[in-house]
Amino acid sequence: MNAWDELVARCARRRNEKIGPLSDEAYAELVLAVRQNPVDFVDAAPEQALLLLARALDAYRASLGHDDLLDDEAFEAERSRRLAALRAECERAAAVDPGCLDARLTTLLASELDPDPLLDALLELERDGSLRELPEGDAWDDVLCRPRLRLRAAVARACLDGARFRMAASAAASVVDATLDDPLGARHTHMLACARLEDEAALGALEARWSGRESAWSHLARVLLLYKLGRLTAARRALRGYDQLVSGGAYALLRPVMVEPYLPDRPDVPACGFEEAMMAVREAEPIITDVPEFIAWCQGHDWLEASARAFAEKSDLDW
Amino acid sequence: MAHDSRREDYLRMSLRFALSLDGGDPAEAAREFASFGRRLARDRDSLPQSDADRAFHLVSLATELVDYRLPFAGDALAETLVARGRSLLDEALSLDPGCHDAARMRFSLGTASPEERGRFLAERADAVRGACEAERDRLCETLDEARRPLGANVAMRPWWRWLADQAECALICGRNHEAVDAAERLLASDQHDLSDARFTLAYALAKLEDEPALERLSARYPALAAPRADDDAWILLARIALAHKAYRLADARRLVERLLASYPGCAAVLIRQMEIADGRFARIRVPAYGEDELIVAVSEGVVLLQEGMERTGKGVFGAWLARTVSELDPEAARAVAATTGEKDGGAEGAIGR
Repeated sequence: MNAWDELVARCARRRNEKIGPLSDEAYAELVLAVRQNPVDFVDAAPEQALLLLARALDAYRASLGHDDLLDDEAFEAERSRRLAALRAECERAAAVDPGCLDARLTTLLASELDPDPLLDALLELERDGSLRELPEGDAWDDVLCRPRLRLRAAVARACLDGARFRMAASAAASVVDATLDDPLGARHTHMLACARLEDEAALGALEARWSGRESAWSHLARVLLLYKLGRLTAARRALRGYDQLVSGGAYALLRPVMVEPYLPDRPDVPACGFEEAMMAVREAEPIITDVPEFIAWCQGHDWLEASARAFAEKSDLDW
Repeated sequence: MAHDSRREDYLRMSLRFALSLDGGDPAEAAREFASFGRRLARDRDSLPQSDADRAFHLVSLATELVDYRLPFAGDALAETLVARGRSLLDEALSLDPGCHDAARMRFSLGTASPEERGRFLAERADAVRGACEAERDRLCETLDEARRPLGANVAMRPWWRWLADQAECALICGRNHEAVDAAERLLASDQHDLSDARFTLAYALAKLEDEPALERLSARYPALAAPRADDDAWILLARIALAHKAYRLADARRLVERLLASYPGCAAVLIRQMEIADGRFARIRVPAYGEDELIVAVSEGVVLLQEGMERTGKGVFGAWLARTVSELDPEAARAVAATTGEKDGGAEGAIGR
């Protein structure tokens, strides 16, 4: 989530409602002015809350990546502190504007709940009457709809973590369908759910629709699907594809690491890069552990091990 | 129903004996047959039998050891039991290389990997089916009309167990369509579901979250499993899992109450969620609606219970089920809490015969 961009868009929109309607040209200039100094344009509770959230997210993100030298215990403590600080700021934002869905969503996601209580809380948030109806057309264009879409995408991911795969698929599909090109990447959740449900037709349809925009998720989902269907020769080819097309994919699969919760949505990273691979493997974890010998099968391919080792050496990672 | 190796041993021997009496004096035959049970128990070798019958007898002895005694044995005895089971099965195979049960059980004792077992079963499946069908046809030619159905049934049983094992292996390996296919093939061949394949099928359908198919399976119960209704632990747990997965928690809770009503006094089993080894011969035989049956169903149900990212390791559905049952039966929850740690959920006299 780029909270600053959204803050700019919302402030410009509010100003336009107050003084406008402005011509397109004038509106573009207004946006530029807001971008220069968004804080000056924050004059209502929703934007005040979003400003608090934007700063809190900046602080949280800045504090990440300073833990390389910490031992396990210190790391855990630092991490708890960081998440608690974020939650406190989000609660402050939600107190300024209880309608600040992103602040409430971020609070929940930073609480690291088990899938059941998390889903319960997310659905409760969705039931909240003040939620904006999604418009026809691309809901992402309406900056006020984005929090709602992020919430739905979080519901889909919580369903996947909670082994509710059909629900994950339908929640993800509703996010994808509400936007033109799925900026939240809900299709990734959908693809993983299809793999777990062994629904080849549905995964095939998603692959066709998003052809040319392959990702660590799409490649991994294909491997898992074929493996689960017992088509091991094809699964091996797909694994090879995953290895070749996803940078560090082999390493991410064979040496999974802890991935921080998405606060409040997946960080933007390059398609088919190592960071994406780590996220995809983490999201696929409930599916991978449900095929108990999948990783052993992966490890049985020397080229995959070799590729993972080479990546580790190149990137100065442990092997 | 379930497979019973001792009973099957008896059936095989009695069919063989009956064949040997055919064509003789009926009164003499009746007299001879009256002594059959005693001779089988005390002087088995005086009865007519083929190497295949002898091999199957060894399979039934091995089954007693590895399916019914092993789960309660300490480590030292366990090794002995497995070693004796192995040598019985090896002997069975040397008597009758076509003893499919022995081959299957022997392989399963030799590997901990369900993938490997699944591969072994898949590679030989066609040959086993072919052999069982040929044996059935051969028997049907020799048996009279009255005994033909039983003979045909007994001849096919090794194949049915083979398929049941394939279905269970596939389920454990996370290949749920494959599990459904194997279970459906089994139901097509074993129409009264001696193997209780519908139980495995119910779980596989729950894994696929295919609610309509699970409802269709319920509707097939009268034809398959009479007189058992669709209130066994497997189909109920499958339904509960589906309701939980669809986040219809009130429905799921009502179904848990139904499950507890079907298995009175068994709440602790649903809280503990103990895992036990699967039977090697077939799913172990336990009384319907008893505590042991629920233990078996829950143990096979770990594929549903332990899914999802849940921190205690119980799984999302497993943790919910334990919590819900504890709320519905706090007494049982207290009893479980009191014994946990003490013996880490031992089998407590459960499952034996």
